[in-house]
Amino acid sequence: MADFNIRTDAVDVEQIMRQIRARIREKRGVDYTEEQIQELASVKLEKFLDPKGVRSDLVEQFRRQRSGGPPPPTYAFEENTLFDSSRAPVRFIRRMLKPILKLFFNPTTLTDVLHRQATINQIYLQRTDNRDELDALYYEVIHNLVLETTRLGIEVKNLKMRVESLSSRLDFDERRARALEGVVQYRPSGAISRDRGRPQSSLQPAAAAGPQAVPGQPSAGPVDTEHPENQPARRRRRRRRGRRGRGGTPAVTNGGATQPGSAEARPFENGEVAASQAEPDDSTPDPEPDGPDGGPFSTDQ
Amino acid sequence: MKLAVVVQRYGANINGGAELHARYIAEHLAHHADVDVVTTCALDYVTWRNELPRGREVVHGLTVHRFPVDRERNVKLFARRSTQVFEQPHSHDDELAWLESEGPTSRALVKFLRSKREAYDFFLFFSYRYYHSFHGIHAVGSRALLVPTAERDEVIGLSVFGPVFRGVRALMYNSPEERAMIAAATSNDDVPGVVVGIGSEVPPRPDPMRFRAKYGINGRFAIYVGRIDENKGCRELFEFFLRYARARRASLTLVLIGQAVLEVPNDPRIKHLGFLSDDDKFDAIAAADLLIMPSYFESLSMVALEAWALGRPVLANGRCEVLKGQCIRSNAGLFYETYEEFAEALRSIADNALLAEALGMNGRVFYRLHYDWPVIERKYLAMLESLKVEDAAGTPAREVAPLPGWLARRRRVLPPARDILAQIPTGPVLS
Repeated sequence: MADFNIRTDAVDVEQIMRQIRARIREKRGVDYTEEQIQELASVKLEKFLDPKGVRSDLVEQFRRQRSGGPPPPTYAFEENTLFDSSRAPVRFIRRMLKPILKLFFNPTTLTDVLHRQATINQIYLQRTDNRDELDALYYEVIHNLVLETTRLGIEVKNLKMRVESLSSRLDFDERRARALEGVVQYRPSGAISRDRGRPQSSLQPAAAAGPQAVPGQPSAGPVDTEHPENQPARRRRRRRRGRRGRGGTPAVTNGGATQPGSAEARPFENGEVAASQAEPDDSTPDPEPDGPDGGPFSTDQ
Repeated sequence: MKLAVVVQRYGANINGGAELHARYIAEHLAHHADVDVVTTCALDYVTWRNELPRGREVVHGLTVHRFPVDRERNVKLFARRSTQVFEQPHSHDDELAWLESEGPTSRALVKFLRSKREAYDFFLFFSYRYYHSFHGIHAVGSRALLVPTAERDEVIGLSVFGPVFRGVRALMYNSPEERAMIAAATSNDDVPGVVVGIGSEVPPRPDPMRFRAKYGINGRFAIYVGRIDENKGCRELFEFFLRYARARRASLTLVLIGQAVLEVPNDPRIKHLGFLSDDDKFDAIAAADLLIMPSYFESLSMVALEAWALGRPVLANGRCEVLKGQCIRSNAGLFYETYEEFAEALRSIADNALLAEALGMNGRVFYRLHYDWPVIERKYLAMLESLKVEDAAGTPAREVAPLPGWLARRRRVLPPARDILAQIPTGPVLS
């Protein structure tokens, strides 16, 4: 295992630790399979996108926790509040004694201060009420922001995964195209064209399998049950084996036996470059109908 | 030059970090100066019980003056006072009371230092946090040099130590992290100081095969050397190592050397050998694939230095800033803070022979450049010589500020030491 580029005279521990941390991050990233991530994402989406979830009682809980019970009642404090009474005689006596009381201290200042305090309390209560409403609004805004951010995060993850999937498919397709280009070669149009000028004898098995055979779909043509070796699928398998056995060298098979000296093998033998490597035209066989292993060998027998 | 090394405990069989440090320094400085040791009669660093005879004794050729400890440590009282000064606002007197309860309280030792102030050129105090250093430095004044052996704990946040760090003639630090921490806590930038650390008596040719044959250790193994204690991060080490071994089905075993305070897991992949002689210890380190240092708090890991001296890589706890700094500066060890980092770093060293070899080679070079005995001795002697030159030139000597007055000492205005510690910057010093 060669994790790091090590030279004994130039080991950088910090660099190694950075690599270790990067590897840990990578590992964490692939700890989840795609299905798990999708499941996780969908669970979160359901949870957060549920309208009831958005308008939940969290706001109420938030308020309850914050307020800690209703505020005490406020009061009014006027000039005569200190000397007021529900009973008229008491009220009268107090008013009579007021000048004497003023000899001991100044009740006017006290009244003034308490009056102001009552006004301040009133204002603060009003502000607190407004604050609660604002808090609820803020909470909702933050809640929605969190929701949207979460959704965006999950969408980004999904998109990333999709991009990765697409790029891997693209890679596969490119590799496949290159592989196909490697096995496609030039043949004289009269000998290889499937649709035009193909000799009848070589067309016969292909016609039995159907001229428009699509990969992955069963052949629509008749199947020879008495001679299973004549079945198209089996023939294809034999062809593949034969070709693999020859390391990809094109050859014409006949009943499973390779014939190196056949007409299709000649272009290679003659050292000619395959004409279809750059862009296939009508004169070159389309590899698609027989899949990656098809192509020029579909016209055998 | 006549020097006195002052340390809380001293003896050929005392293997505590600061005590061993003091002994090594005293013995090596004795090649260049006339060195005496001043210490207590205690052997146990928890109780400070007087177990050695008072008076003069010769240890490895050095004269050792032992003084009795006035009283053993009252652990409950010490814990209560620790809580008070570490976690609550307190007074200067509370801190002095904490220091008394920590010990080793030896008034005879301080009296001896005061009386012999003129008899020695310099006094080297080891471990700033103990009674003998605080009161001893106040007693000898401008002749005091301090080897703080400070760790990142609450004690550094106590106010009583500020004047000590600012008042000594010079400081001999163990690591750049220790120096930065003390400077941040006490603003002592103008005090001369040098990062020295300590060497080790590493044998030139350890014998790994002898160790393997003697203890029946086959195959590859990682080694831990030290007290097997939760405070040393051993519980976390066991957890991480067993998890790693199970996850990777690794053939690596963990060999533990040292006294066990913590229960060692009963697992075939962990082998506890107990306390070994120095020869066996060095053979074991030489036989190991790597050394693991799981400790959270270290002022200097001698074991890590020994492993490097023997060309072995180190895997250290990255939450200990000193170990992390040493690993980065030496390029000779990896470090971890989480299990994932532990597993990846251990795998990297264990599975990549080239990396392990490169780290080991760097460690060897790092040890030779910074911690070999000639280097250490040279740093000490250079500092002492420069102070002698200062004295000869008549430069006014730095003195420790006296204790505050009676009233000032009783005002509960000092913040909890934990708060001070929290304000000190953390992290390894890389410049």
